[in-house]
Amino acid sequence: EYEDKSGRAHRPLSPKQNVRKNLDFEPLSTTALILEDRPANLPAKPAEEAQKHRQQYEEMVVQAKKRELKEAQKRKKQLEERCKLEDSIGNAVLTWNNEILPNWETMCCSRKVRELWWQGIPPSVRGKVWSLAIGNELNITHELYDICLARAKEKWRSLSTGGTEGECEDAGFSAADREASLELIKLDISRTFPSLCIFQQGGPYHDTLHSILGAYTCYRPDVGYVQGMSFIAAVLILNLDTADAFIAFSNLLNKPCQMAFFRVDHGLMLTYFAAFEVFFEENLPKLFAHFKKNNLTPDIYLIDWIFTLYSKSLPLDLACRVWDVFCRDGEEFLFRTALGILKLFEDILTKMDFIHIAQFLTKLPEDLPSEEFFTSIAAIQMQSRNKKWAQV
Amino acid sequence: DDAFDYLFKIILIGDSNVGKTCVVHRFKTGHYNEKQQNTIGVDFTVRSMDIDGKKGSSIHWPLQLLSFLLQIQVWDTAGQERFRTITQSYYRSAHGAIIAYDLTRRSTFESIPHWIHEIEKYGAANLVIMLIGNKSDSLDKRQVLFEDACTLAEKHGLLAVLETSAKEAQNIEELFTLMAKELIARNTLQLHGKNPPNSFCLDSR
Repeated sequence: EYEDKSGRAHRPLSPKQNVRKNLDFEPLSTTALILEDRPANLPAKPAEEAQKHRQQYEEMVVQAKKRELKEAQKRKKQLEERCKLEDSIGNAVLTWNNEILPNWETMCCSRKVRELWWQGIPPSVRGKVWSLAIGNELNITHELYDICLARAKEKWRSLSTGGTEGECEDAGFSAADREASLELIKLDISRTFPSLCIFQQGGPYHDTLHSILGAYTCYRPDVGYVQGMSFIAAVLILNLDTADAFIAFSNLLNKPCQMAFFRVDHGLMLTYFAAFEVFFEENLPKLFAHFKKNNLTPDIYLIDWIFTLYSKSLPLDLACRVWDVFCRDGEEFLFRTALGILKLFEDILTKMDFIHIAQFLTKLPEDLPSEEFFTSIAAIQMQSRNKKWAQV
Repeated sequence: DDAFDYLFKIILIGDSNVGKTCVVHRFKTGHYNEKQQNTIGVDFTVRSMDIDGKKGSSIHWPLQLLSFLLQIQVWDTAGQERFRTITQSYYRSAHGAIIAYDLTRRSTFESIPHWIHEIEKYGAANLVIMLIGNKSDSLDKRQVLFEDACTLAEKHGLLAVLETSAKEAQNIEELFTLMAKELIARNTLQLHGKNPPNSFCLDSR
């Protein structure tokens, strides 16, 4: 702990050297072990006993030193790995900022960029890359966002003064549902990444999330607010300024796969599930047969994953890496990720029955190993009998 | 894990943010999760339950002196109207349904007839339905009287109404015990004299 603190204190001067120098320290805690003779008012130890105690003491010190040295080495290794990672992120930031972003149109599809992209986009440029990759087909301007937001605020005001709550029965999909969805946004915001404590009432991004979702219901009243959207908007807010997050949000939801799901177009969703199953069978035939036998259909687990683009089910840093490649490869990658998860846990899943698989997949373990996870996604082939995803 | 007498599938429905997932979480883990995220689609939870008829119970039950080991599967659904077309397809094979409302929000209680209608339309005919008014830890904000819930339950022939609190662990265990006992009674009495209980076959969905 001492070493950690002093390392931090010196950091501003020359971080790496200082931290590294500090690692060559001598084990400290052994100084707390002191061999003392008996107090003077007691008879002295016999020589033999004193000898024995000295020996035991020395053994204890040696062992403690060994243990500390081992721990110090482990810490050193971890630190070196972290430094290496930080260096590579630093280099990647430079490459993205100086080479790729200024020449986006020409470079975004090159092999080198695609490979770097797969490694994960550094957080500091992530928002920019996502924005460029998602594009702005809808030509939304910052002004349009302001107009939509103003309209949403108007509606909230009239809703809170009008107070026609409780009349939404049997009105089906009409105006009442949309009013209910404004009400629902309020309830859902605090349930979006609650552990981060930034979207909750009083948190720094509470109003931002509220604004983006509200503005969207005014921009696309035909779609409205659908649960799951709050997670997508939240991830964008973490990486982009408000208006840019809104632009990315609207364009992202406008993609065919997202539209099909958020409008709950059952027919189209089934088409997606069927296509997914083709690749499932191709890549993981054994597990596919096991799922079939247990009547476990893809809707059971895919709905949550696709609606929230994995941001609810995966740890946030992994979800962002999935988003990185999703921005590169499109909807196909969402289904590839699903197969990657199934592949990663294939051995466990084959031993489970319907309900345990369903339980497992709707509550994935929190400590997913990121490298193994991406290795297993990489191993998934999105080609079936010479057909690609789009053709299936 | 496979050795149980009965497997019951219970679907949990009701408006958004009434605390469905917290109820299941309490049932499964014994804990309350204040930071619960909203459910998209359906979440699945499985727990085994020991129903011991020999233990004194306040609930009248015709199968005293018998013990059963059960597997309870809870299908916890998303509350938003838009998801109903998805959740409807999960009603078909359920043995029981729990409809939840938030007793501090009147509108969630007013949707109950709507939810009952859904069950009647898409569920099996003999589905056991229970009603719960959740968040009984916030009685100072009560907007729904227990009497009103009882009247509604009687009118629609529901098994029972309980006021629950996932936060303070009130009536959660009781809820599932009551549901389980009713399902056991129905299945056992139906089969009485024909088959021993454990040969009653239920598929996994």
